[in-house]
Amino acid sequence: MWRELHRISTALPSPDMPYPDFSQTYFELFDLPQGFTVDSTVLGERYRQLQRELHPDRFAGGTAQEQRLAVQYSGLVNQAYNTLKQPLSRALYLLELAGLSAEDVAREQIDGGFLIEQMELREKLESLPGLVDRETVLEHLLTELAGDIKLHQGEFVVAYEAADLRAAASACVKMQYLGKLLVEAEQVESDLLEGH
Amino acid sequence: MALLQIAEPGQSPLPHSVKRAVGIDLGTTNSLVATVRGGRAAALPDEGGEVMLPSVVNYSDPGQVLVGAAARELAPLHPADTLMSVKRFMGRGRDDAAEDVRRAHYELAGAEDGMISFQTQSGPVSPVQASADILRTLRERAEKTLDASVEGAVITVPAYFDEAQRQATKDAATLAGLPVLRLLNEPTAAAVAYGLDSAEEGVIAVFDLGGGTFDISILRLHRGVFEVLATGGDTALGGDDFDAALVSWILQKSGAGAPTASVARQLSALARSVKEQLSDTQSVTFELADILAGAPPLELNRTGFEELIQTLVKRTLLACRRCLRDAGLDATEIGNVVMVGGSTRVPLVREAVAELFGREPLLNIDPDQVVAIGAAQQADILVGNRAEGDLLLLDVIPLSLGLETMGGLVEKIVPRNTTIPVARAQEFTTYKDGQTALAVHVVQGERELVDDCRSLSRFELRGIPPMVAGAARIKVTFQVDADGLLNVSAVEETTGAQSSVTVKPSFGLAEDEIASMLQSSYSHASEDMLARKLAEQRLDAQQLLEGLDAALQADGQQLLNDDERASLAQQMDLVRQQLREEDVDALRVATESLGRASETFATRRMDRSIRQALAGVSLDELDEEDKE
Repeated sequence: MWRELHRISTALPSPDMPYPDFSQTYFELFDLPQGFTVDSTVLGERYRQLQRELHPDRFAGGTAQEQRLAVQYSGLVNQAYNTLKQPLSRALYLLELAGLSAEDVAREQIDGGFLIEQMELREKLESLPGLVDRETVLEHLLTELAGDIKLHQGEFVVAYEAADLRAAASACVKMQYLGKLLVEAEQVESDLLEGH
Repeated sequence: MALLQIAEPGQSPLPHSVKRAVGIDLGTTNSLVATVRGGRAAALPDEGGEVMLPSVVNYSDPGQVLVGAAARELAPLHPADTLMSVKRFMGRGRDDAAEDVRRAHYELAGAEDGMISFQTQSGPVSPVQASADILRTLRERAEKTLDASVEGAVITVPAYFDEAQRQATKDAATLAGLPVLRLLNEPTAAAVAYGLDSAEEGVIAVFDLGGGTFDISILRLHRGVFEVLATGGDTALGGDDFDAALVSWILQKSGAGAPTASVARQLSALARSVKEQLSDTQSVTFELADILAGAPPLELNRTGFEELIQTLVKRTLLACRRCLRDAGLDATEIGNVVMVGGSTRVPLVREAVAELFGREPLLNIDPDQVVAIGAAQQADILVGNRAEGDLLLLDVIPLSLGLETMGGLVEKIVPRNTTIPVARAQEFTTYKDGQTALAVHVVQGERELVDDCRSLSRFELRGIPPMVAGAARIKVTFQVDADGLLNVSAVEETTGAQSSVTVKPSFGLAEDEIASMLQSSYSHASEDMLARKLAEQRLDAQQLLEGLDAALQADGQQLLNDDERASLAQQMDLVRQQLREEDVDALRVATESLGRASETFATRRMDRSIRQALAGVSLDELDEEDKE
């Protein structure tokens, strides 16, 4: 899912459409220092300022061409914002800026201990529908997953700041694993929600 | 005062050119229309002073469609002809909605394409047509009250509505002759009404439990910008389900067998009344003999009722927790909880929400009207009656959008809760040597398997040159506009072969179907149609002229040279001339030509706005700007 292209200019829906210089990095776009720790207040403030200028609703009375451009530009700002807002996408973006593609990251080896933990968590999840107090167990599992993800975010920061890109990539892969498990856990929750 | 109006020169609304725009809450149980007059938004009552229009349509008499309370009275007598809660069927397929159809005691008309349509005395009626009849009634009410034609409407939909359900709603509006300015998510509309009313800043949760749908949205309010952080819910959970649980209990207690359609309708009405009484009193005793011959009266206390609906309420809480997680927030970080929808009057619902968020929910805006009022406020802005700088909505898509890949798996392209508008591109390749076509299957949902997701659209990309497997580079782009509607395009990058679709879900109506329905529609005689077309074309032309006038006044000198200005002026005169005539086609041609002529100017203006926005204004300066 992270195979999309992360420089704004390359994601323009129509390359023949004239557009302003969107060749800055997402960090430059939002006036933020390049790094994993992002001041969410500044990010949000700058995001809202850009959308105040660019959102299609600002051109509600404008021409069709203005509307179309507004949809595109506003979409680009949203993409940049969404990338920087989420820790995992932000981490992967940093690696990409450092020259490590998503494929490079995916090739990173993961230690056996982590994989065993993953299997255990997965088994826990699979045994859930048979449990009496499954909602409480699920809630615990979700909290545990969220905590683990935070842990690997910490790992990423240490590795990235020490310019150890391989270790940073490995932390990203772990976050991806856990993120995927979180989605599956939510699916189980959703099934409970619907009373299956 | 948190919201300051910043109008650009030439863009301030002129007092004499106020446009009539309405907000419509098209609800499962009741629908409302609201508008902004003299700066205040209010719901419009009918001639009898009633604001709420029951979302009920009766088709017993082929010559006359009844909408509202009059139709509801006919429900016990003509259960199959009286369509209630049609919103539950919007954009859904036959298989998908089978259980709801059975429970509502409707007769389905035959159809090969899997689309739902109900058999009535007036022939088959689709949920879209029934919704259009409700919308038409509201449009006529507004036009009568305002003594003017409605130029545009913001129609609200549950945030958790999928593409098919949104498209069906838009189709219904088209059928009712209402130009749609925007489909707005119901909780977002409520947040607008609440936020503008209270001028509050911070994070709020909107808990919206209506007759048939449930939504939870978490928003950040900041200086007139309403940013939806996450949304979730269930499009098939609401007060109707509380009633159904109560009906099952009544049937079980009285030992009655499966009810007839007529009895079921009467029991539903009784259950609704018992439910409503239990919001105010601890215990209710009710007669059954009129409906079920020989059945003794029953007594139900509040605790007993709460046991019946407990699992339903629990489902809403699980959705709230997930929404909090998606927003990356803890329940304690929510500043206020706004309750929307009639079903939030049930005390158990209020208590459960209060416990989850650790605070008493707010009830100071009428939960029945708040959505329509917020929609009216947004409509007023979109039609250009207010300075545009003072309110901006940033909404999200409720469900992930993706593509089918090898093995029936889903590759998510746009994850749920992504802010819209958005464009995302992803590259794919061929899997067979010499493959010249690629089937693109667009799906919506959170599941990993295609079969578990909602199928939205399929199209083919042809003309890929034969290459070895994996050599072709096919870029698929998803673009979601501010209405939450999707456009997908695919291009083979080495040859430029292209294909695209605006996603029209299989359960919506095709464009020509709508046109033919409009044509045959009983309330639109052909001269009516022509007049409407002319009116719409004139509106388009006027909007373009006004927009250009304002733009020229602001930037014409700076961004255009003398020749360009003269040529634009000439084209504008042509349009003005046609505005005085009655020729729809000539007006359209002149308007379109002016539109094309103004594109360069528009592009330059946009470029400049963006350069300004990107010029690295510091936060201090932003603050200054807002204080002005």
